[in-house]
Amino acid sequence: MPADIPAFAGFGLGLRTAHYPDFLDQTARVPVDFVEVISENFMLDGGRPLRILEQVRRDHPVILHGVSLSVGSAHGLDEDYLARLKALAERIAPLWLSDHLCWTRTSAHNSHDLLPLPLTRAALDLVCANVDHAQERLGRPLLLENPSSYLTFPEDELTEWHFLSEIARRTGCYLLLDVNNIYVSAHNHGFAAADYLAGIPHDRVRQIHLAGHTPGIAPDDIIIDTHDRAVADGVWDLYAQALALLGPVATMIERDGNVPPLDELLGELDTARRIAAQVAGLCAA
Amino acid sequence: MIALAAMQTAFLAQIRDESLPLPAGWNDRAAAGMAIYRNNYRTALVDALRETYARTARWVGDDAFRQAAAHHLILLPPASWTLDAAGLEFDQTLAEVFAQDPEVSELAWTEWAMLQVFGARDAEPLDAASFAAATAGFGEAEWDGLRLHFLPRLATRLITQDLPAIWQQLEAPLTAKEDNAFVRVDAPLAAPLACHVYREGEQPVFVTAPAYEYGALTAMLADASFGAVCELLAQQLGPDAAAQEAGAMLGRWLHHGLIEAVLPPR
Repeated sequence: MPADIPAFAGFGLGLRTAHYPDFLDQTARVPVDFVEVISENFMLDGGRPLRILEQVRRDHPVILHGVSLSVGSAHGLDEDYLARLKALAERIAPLWLSDHLCWTRTSAHNSHDLLPLPLTRAALDLVCANVDHAQERLGRPLLLENPSSYLTFPEDELTEWHFLSEIARRTGCYLLLDVNNIYVSAHNHGFAAADYLAGIPHDRVRQIHLAGHTPGIAPDDIIIDTHDRAVADGVWDLYAQALALLGPVATMIERDGNVPPLDELLGELDTARRIAAQVAGLCAA
Repeated sequence: MIALAAMQTAFLAQIRDESLPLPAGWNDRAAAGMAIYRNNYRTALVDALRETYARTARWVGDDAFRQAAAHHLILLPPASWTLDAAGLEFDQTLAEVFAQDPEVSELAWTEWAMLQVFGARDAEPLDAASFAAATAGFGEAEWDGLRLHFLPRLATRLITQDLPAIWQQLEAPLTAKEDNAFVRVDAPLAAPLACHVYREGEQPVFVTAPAYEYGALTAMLADASFGAVCELLAQQLGPDAAAQEAGAMLGRWLHHGLIEAVLPPR
């Protein structure tokens, strides 16, 4: 069983290249408690990206968030990838490492997308074996994030929250809850987001992602997790519901496309802070 | 496990090839979901190529670039965990697609080589004084046996087009009409040149040099001795010119900071 990850209840942003000058400016510290970076962008031998990350790391705790671990791959994990990720983690000393409950590759090809798994007991066994292997190679526990998905499989045997709960129970990994992704998948697949929130092991959640999505034109159209716009009202509501169940938890605004000026994202982060304070006040009362 | 592996292989094939039938039992909703995954795949990969080959994309225009990128992804689907690798060998695809425009593949090769050095291991180039110290007291045998270690992922090739001039054209600010307004000015060279790509500090750069440097540098990158390279140059330039040019070439490599170390004699 891997070591514990202590809770860390701050507010952070995903570090994007457009904001490097803000984070490197030594005259004004960006008011965040942590930054999260895409691991793969820094799994390099050297050069400017690593130098910048090390500079940012001096001022802020860093989370390494991956997109290519592919814990759902039936073709096994990429050992070169694991070795590079481990080297980066040893260099940066992150708060934690995270990736997604998905698969991205076969033995021959890589989709570079977070593809959905059939939620079967066989797939569960496979993901648990891969997570065990990854955690052993990396020497630390992982956080697994729920992805958005656009289709389900006729052979599904479990709900996604049962699936994630079992992975956490069997492997000792932690969870990164993307509230927007729950919102998107709940709409696309017709389940209740509240059931999802109620069904996950709350003590295993170490981080929340908040992001925007592209709504459909018709009410029952599939909605797409684009992470390219402001957090939607429905997602803020779900965030408040999540906090009421989870208590204080590291929260991050994740913008991947149409990245706006930093102040706009800091404004969204202030909204998260305000909601967290309101929920904490209500819970205390 | 075998069933899941087969399912994933088939799923990815269906993403890549819209003509493949979807599995039996899938409803319209699942088919609509698959359409989103197909679109994500194409969009992400073409965007990745556009980022790696930003100048090439501007040179050929967005529509032509998108078509060439889509063609390349069919020829060589990505296999690596890093999205950066999706552009592997794109210059070769462009050489076929733009067979009448050799500058396109030469420009693409340069951008790819620059991406490789961008994330290469950090290394300090050897300066002239350090090189002189390392080779002090060398006799003829030591110079013949000299082997060099170059900056990580240093790359070289022959070019037939005036890449510096093309690069300069591409530095101009984008117009309101964006790529379609870009007017290409062809710039063939009178004779081929060598083009070396390396990193100055954190910045990938390229430099052109006499054509013989391509063969010489390629040989030394493959562990040839300086003596062997001098013989190579003598075949191309004649013995007298070769001796002179070999020294000048070493001086240029030092000046540009291509050499990391003088290797111990064997």
